[in-house]
Amino acid sequence: MIKSVGIVGAGTMGNGIAQVAARAGFDVVLYDISTEVLKDAMARIKEDFRRGVEKGKITATEATEAFSAIHPRRNFGDMGNADFIIEAVAEDLNVKKEIFKKLDAIVAPEAILTSNTSSLSISAIASLTKTPESVVGMHFFNPPALMKLVEVVRGRQTSDETTKTACDLALRMKKIPVVCKDTPGFIVNRVARPFYGEALRLLAEGVATVEEIDMIVKMEGGFKMGPFELMDLIGIDVNYAVTKSVYEQFFHEPRFRPHPIQRQMVEAGTLGRKTKKGFYTYK
Amino acid sequence: MAKGKQVCILGESPLVVEYASLCLNKGFKVHARLNVSSKSAKLPKGIKRVPKPTRSTDIALELTNISIKEKKKNLIELDRIVRPKVPILSSCVTVTAAEQSGWITRPARLIGLGALPSLLEGTLIELATSDATDKPSIAAAKEFTKAVGKNCALVRDSVGLVLPRIVCMLANEACFALMEGVAAKRDIDTAMKLGTNYPFGPIEWAERIGLRQVFAVMAALHQEFGEDRYRVAPLLRQGALQNVFPGG
Ligand SMILES: NC(=O)c1ccc[n+]([C@@H]2O[C@H](COP(=O)([O-])OP(=O)(O)OC[C@H]3O[C@@H](n4cnc5c(N)ncnc54)[C@H](O)[C@@H]3O)[C@@H](O)[C@H]2O)c1
Repeated sequence: MIKSVGIVGAGTMGNGIAQVAARAGFDVVLYDISTEVLKDAMARIKEDFRRGVEKGKITATEATEAFSAIHPRRNFGDMGNADFIIEAVAEDLNVKKEIFKKLDAIVAPEAILTSNTSSLSISAIASLTKTPESVVGMHFFNPPALMKLVEVVRGRQTSDETTKTACDLALRMKKIPVVCKDTPGFIVNRVARPFYGEALRLLAEGVATVEEIDMIVKMEGGFKMGPFELMDLIGIDVNYAVTKSVYEQFFHEPRFRPHPIQRQMVEAGTLGRKTKKGFYTYK
Repeated sequence: MAKGKQVCILGESPLVVEYASLCLNKGFKVHARLNVSSKSAKLPKGIKRVPKPTRSTDIALELTNISIKEKKKNLIELDRIVRPKVPILSSCVTVTAAEQSGWITRPARLIGLGALPSLLEGTLIELATSDATDKPSIAAAKEFTKAVGKNCALVRDSVGLVLPRIVCMLANEACFALMEGVAAKRDIDTAMKLGTNYPFGPIEWAERIGLRQVFAVMAALHQEFGEDRYRVAPLLRQGALQNVFPGG
């Protein structure tokens, strides 16, 4: 029975996952190399819980309990007692490999090691551990507290038992796990590619304008957001990077080819909402 | 607006049934004829089955996406029988309005329609014109969409138009993922609905539209662009043969 969850990396995803885990009744060790980040993360978590109480989503007692279950740590060894590790550090294969190698040396042999990577291969991340069968992907979506989906990614050597344990843990966190094979983009980041790719081509071919395409997609198709509004929200640079990553990992499969419009917008520095200029202009 | 007006609809099921029901609902008198390949489909009560197009109709619809041969036959027949100035709205998701306008003698009255099963659940219909389409026909097409309670968007005449092309490409990609064993069918749908907020999962969407229809759009895109990007997923092709995915 899993009691203690170790989270590596206290950034956007790490602190969100820590909240969800603590709310599900786990003891959480939250680790980051940066003291600053850890301090910010704990302040953010406190604030999120406070707002949860304010909105009546949780009681004050629950919030206090959950908050005190999260232990910020700067000593890597403190994660040695965790039964289940969720890694959420920067998206860099070498950094992640190094962390998994170090984790492998300190955790109990039966501990499960998971990564929140959105684009790297779980099989590659697991390769430096002695127990690749205990390594599995756990792809949460941003923000983890709100998004229900977790893609449980089976690496080449991941065991059935590890997969099941990860699914059970996701369910205990009130998430909906979906098992998928370790392939580029997993499910969501792969299957969603044409939503952007075709919209960009339609625009370039002059079939319709940005505004028209967004309107048609919403009114005719029932989508909540049009592709261009969504790219502006995600960030043109982030969307372009995901597309490029999936494209390259599939050895340049043309279905995933990025569009020159994306690259040009990145080069122009018009990245969407965050720069106030993307497919639309924001005040 | 539609009170007492007459619409004559030719084409395949379920598109004819969907459009005929909507028109009936909005006060049109509806005449319909199903293609030979859709003969067994049932038309709701109140819709008159006709053996040939009604000459005196106020507006005509041709709704065939799959069999281009049947589509061409229907259009030529409509053009020949229906009074000369009456507009013909013809689905143009698998063959452009421009190409269709070459089949008939009065192409000025032809307007492309973004018709694909289940899309009438939305609130907008896409229209496209060929170079030959005249202004009164465009106005009549717009008026028709209004009369059936929809908004319309006039887009450039291109295979798949906007929404059908995007949705069919999503479904095609989901079929590749399913075929490659990335995840189970239901799980792909769940992931897309929860992860990206899509109204339907791409596999369930393909089933709602009909695998044959999705296949027809994809095959047309592939032929039009000649690019591997639009290659039809073999699983979709297999599914289209039976109109269900292999294995259910
Ligand atoms: N942000 C998203 O929308 C999102 C969604 C799903 C998955 N992911 C994935 O989650 C992971 C984290 O993303 P993020 O957005 O939270 O990034 P982030 O930059 O907000 O956080 C990463 C954290 O990792 C820390 N870190 C870096 N190297 C470290 C090391 N060696 N040891 C310990 N901590 C280290 C950094 O100090 C930082 O706080 C990535 O793999 C990303 O692909 C992100």
